[in-house]
Amino acid sequence: MNSKSHLNPATKTIVWLLRAFFLGSMLAMGQTSHTISGTVTDKSNGETLFGASVFLVGTTIGGVTNEYGFYSITAPEGEYVFTISYMGYNDVTININLNQDIKSDVEIAEFSTELDEVVVTAEEPERAILQKPEMSVVKMNVGTIKQTPVVLGEVDVLKALQLLPGVTNNGEGTGGFHVRGGAQDQNLVLLDEAIIYNTSHMFGFFSVFNADAIKDVKLYKGGIPARFGGRVSSVLDIRQKDGNSKDFGLTGGIGVISSRLTAEGPVFGDKGSFLIAGRRSYVDLILKAAGEDNSVAFYDLNLKTNYSIDRNNKLFLSGYFGRDAFDFDGIFENSYGNASGNLRWNHIFNDRLFSNLSAIVSRYDYYLNFDQEDFEWVSSIINYNLKYDLKYYWSDVFSLDFGANGIYYDFDPGQVQPTSPDSPVNPLKLDQKRALETGIYMNAEHKLTDRLTAQYGLRYSAFSRLGGQPITEYANAQPVVYNSTLGIYERGEAIGETEFARGDAIETFGNLEPRVSLAYLLNEDSSIKAGFSRAAQYIHLLSNTSSVTPLDVWTPSGPFIEPQLSNQYALGYFRNFLNKAYSLEVEGYYKTVDNRIDYIDGSELIGQNTIETEILNGEMRAYGLELLLRKNEGDLTGWIAYTLSKSEQRTPGGIAGGPGINNGDWYNTFFDRTHDVSVSGSYRWNDQWSFGANMIFQTGRPVTYPNGQYEYEDLSIASYAQRNSDRLPAYHRVDVSATFKPRRYQHKRFKGEWVLSIYNLYHRKNAAAISFGQNVETGANEATRTAIFGIVPSLTYNFKF
Amino acid sequence: MKSRIKTIFAILTVSLASCTDVVDVEVQNGPERLVVEASLDWEKGTAGNVQTIRLRKSTPFFDTKTTADVTGASVVVTNDTSGETFAFMDQNNGIYRTTNFRPVLGQSYSLRIEYDGEVYTARETMTPVTDITNVFQDRAEGFDDEALEVHVVFTDPPEEGDNYLFRFQREGDLLPDLEVAEDEFINGNEIDWWYEIDDDNENLEPFEPGDVVNIEMYGISRPYYDYIKILIDQLGGVGIFEATPVAVKGNCINETNPDNYAYGYFRLTEVVKTSYTFLED
Repeated sequence: MNSKSHLNPATKTIVWLLRAFFLGSMLAMGQTSHTISGTVTDKSNGETLFGASVFLVGTTIGGVTNEYGFYSITAPEGEYVFTISYMGYNDVTININLNQDIKSDVEIAEFSTELDEVVVTAEEPERAILQKPEMSVVKMNVGTIKQTPVVLGEVDVLKALQLLPGVTNNGEGTGGFHVRGGAQDQNLVLLDEAIIYNTSHMFGFFSVFNADAIKDVKLYKGGIPARFGGRVSSVLDIRQKDGNSKDFGLTGGIGVISSRLTAEGPVFGDKGSFLIAGRRSYVDLILKAAGEDNSVAFYDLNLKTNYSIDRNNKLFLSGYFGRDAFDFDGIFENSYGNASGNLRWNHIFNDRLFSNLSAIVSRYDYYLNFDQEDFEWVSSIINYNLKYDLKYYWSDVFSLDFGANGIYYDFDPGQVQPTSPDSPVNPLKLDQKRALETGIYMNAEHKLTDRLTAQYGLRYSAFSRLGGQPITEYANAQPVVYNSTLGIYERGEAIGETEFARGDAIETFGNLEPRVSLAYLLNEDSSIKAGFSRAAQYIHLLSNTSSVTPLDVWTPSGPFIEPQLSNQYALGYFRNFLNKAYSLEVEGYYKTVDNRIDYIDGSELIGQNTIETEILNGEMRAYGLELLLRKNEGDLTGWIAYTLSKSEQRTPGGIAGGPGINNGDWYNTFFDRTHDVSVSGSYRWNDQWSFGANMIFQTGRPVTYPNGQYEYEDLSIASYAQRNSDRLPAYHRVDVSATFKPRRYQHKRFKGEWVLSIYNLYHRKNAAAISFGQNVETGANEATRTAIFGIVPSLTYNFKF
Repeated sequence: MKSRIKTIFAILTVSLASCTDVVDVEVQNGPERLVVEASLDWEKGTAGNVQTIRLRKSTPFFDTKTTADVTGASVVVTNDTSGETFAFMDQNNGIYRTTNFRPVLGQSYSLRIEYDGEVYTARETMTPVTDITNVFQDRAEGFDDEALEVHVVFTDPPEEGDNYLFRFQREGDLLPDLEVAEDEFINGNEIDWWYEIDDDNENLEPFEPGDVVNIEMYGISRPYYDYIKILIDQLGGVGIFEATPVAVKGNCINETNPDNYAYGYFRLTEVVKTSYTFLED
């Protein structure tokens, strides 16, 4: 009997891929091959460049630089023209005789020496990348981000991303973002590899990322590479600048809300560089000057330094500290913030094997102090992350990423402390929770034929919820029970507790996460790509509100909360046309998420020790079509983005019994947006003046409106319709900006520019919320709209020295 | 206290940068339901024999004209231990009244309503309340340092599980204000509960000397606390940092047709009532 006939299709595919791979690598080894490797950096400041393409002209052999600017390509012995290109930079061409392994570090210069990063440049966004299977990825350079008109002149990475297809927010003045119908907590946000738990300042008006300190922003909306894990929707990978290794420089800006100052320069002789960037808002100072007792402030500090031990070893140390503080008339004080640090060691084993070891700590905490009631509230999440990533450039058709990581979490969901002996409040500490998340992965990028390239990988993730806390037991093992008489969900009856020791695992989970994508080059200008990815998420942000607040706490999976699991399928068509001046990207996706928690009516999450009594286990699904048309060259550049999508969730009663939330029917998530259109453009008029504009139209977000009223306790009580079965009015606005660079500075070391921006040009009162209540004078019911930003003009001055 | 933590976000967002205005909105029209306001409240120091229950219908949200009073229903309350029944007489204006109710603290009672061929029932326990030990005025506390507030002082009993409903209404104001408290964080302590009208409310002036505020403090059951808390949280509407509003279900079940449940609640409480006249300070 032929045992092969028993192989299922999946196994057959694997066997075929393995054969192709060995055949490919053997072919490459059949003749004498050599490797050219090195680092690509920016000529003006020594910053390493991520994503620069390196290739041998006249062949299909090439690659791109990694996060640290490193590249390695292997080719048969011979003479080649070696070209390095990067968007916005002049190509560099080198003739090489590849008769031995070559190390070549390359410096490339920006298009025009007149332009520099602080001055808003006409730097083009990336063209559609045709040959790499990487899809559903948005890469934005800081130049493009800085060009976008913004509210109050604060350059904002997250708001710029929301101009692209598949990325939305939850209304003005709310933090975070949503990717392809996913929730906020389903985004992994990394700043120099450290997890950022809250991306917003001032409850979401601004983001925590200071654009002056950032080099690259890459958002994976799907097709998440196997080296990332832990979130089911997306990965936002933000990398800080290394600092100018050639010259000392100061960059800064003075805006309406805040001011920024960045210092960078060489350090340790020519062995390294540093960067310190600070930003502080001064609304509090203005308020104080105006005699206001309320105060609101935020600041951030970005730090980075690196040191080259030798050619093959380099150390990086980076840090981020950000904080918001509010003082409301002395009644309560509130502060929250992220802090993170990362020590990295790049080690090049040989010209084909690159490695990086990172030790990362990050922390988010939230603090409230009620002066009058004499108590304070603290909650925090800390994680320690050790991670080792390697990349092996096997041959010209095959490269392999592999590695492992482990994250230890310490959750402190909340403590209440009386602040004086006569406080009416008793001390309380919610159970501290601990967990360990580990992952190993392997991912191959494999050029199967000249037209077909595959990326296939596997991640295995494991999660242990660790002891050191009691776990409540419930009657009939039901933390939530359906009361069929009243037709409501109620908290289950606690019948006891089991105490778990510090070293013990309360519950463990493990998941295999396959990630596959294919790119097929149709012709020189177009390709189609398809991808599948599965991801697991073990920690969850508890929020029963339509917008996440800084107070919301994270909670780990465990006896009552299963890990979220997503499957995403995507198909796309990519085309460059009119001599690559334009590009078109069309993608469709379908995504499911299992074990998405949902909240029973009247759920109480703050100060809640037994979260399991407030939630039920549900699921999500999202699908959509994304279209992005970009003009990449010329004085006028920009894009039109359109997304048609649906995002829903459903929560059956499960072990609690009953029909479930919203009768167990599918209902719109808070972030479902049927239509989302953004048009963004910038025009360079001359050396002194450039202009930018955005136009945005979005379907209003789902909300719950009343469907009746009744009198009770002499009040008119609103009775509400099914969850999220209504919608706010459509959201739209236009923003414009103008940048002026005075001529007299142009050839001096000191350079400055003025940026005038007008947000919401036609003063549309976009509803952030509509609430329903009784007029206190007439007693009649009325609907009240809250609009956050009307027309907001602002002026910012940026300089570089 | 928890709800105060939450209100911070609403206040902060609004005070940072926003504007509000009244707009026309189209809303859905849900099913018409019976509304049961069966609040049997026994004021401390009284006999508690006279009790009323109000029956009405729900109406479309923006409707101001429809008369919603329900007449012709049969309304009976039963003491679950003794079996003693109290018939509530139809006053033909939506009010049903008895003059011989006998309240017993800790006692379970049942409500039975027959209306329009359907039978509604509910069960609830009469819950006691502690005494108010002091009422005074001050300006220092509250969300507004300059506004007058009234302070209600009481001592939470040592056992856990006491829940409170407060009702404040200034004489001359159209609408009362409701607040709830539980003893989860404050069990057994002396509590100073303040109430003020801050000047953020553009239609209402803060308290002034001469103003009289009526104060009622009810002892309520945990199920009623869960019910009224959601109801209060949703009063005046729900902002972006508050939980999704829901159709709040009370304890009145429709035995004939469960989907046609009633709004409102059958509650039995002990209540202390007082009033306070603000003085020049």
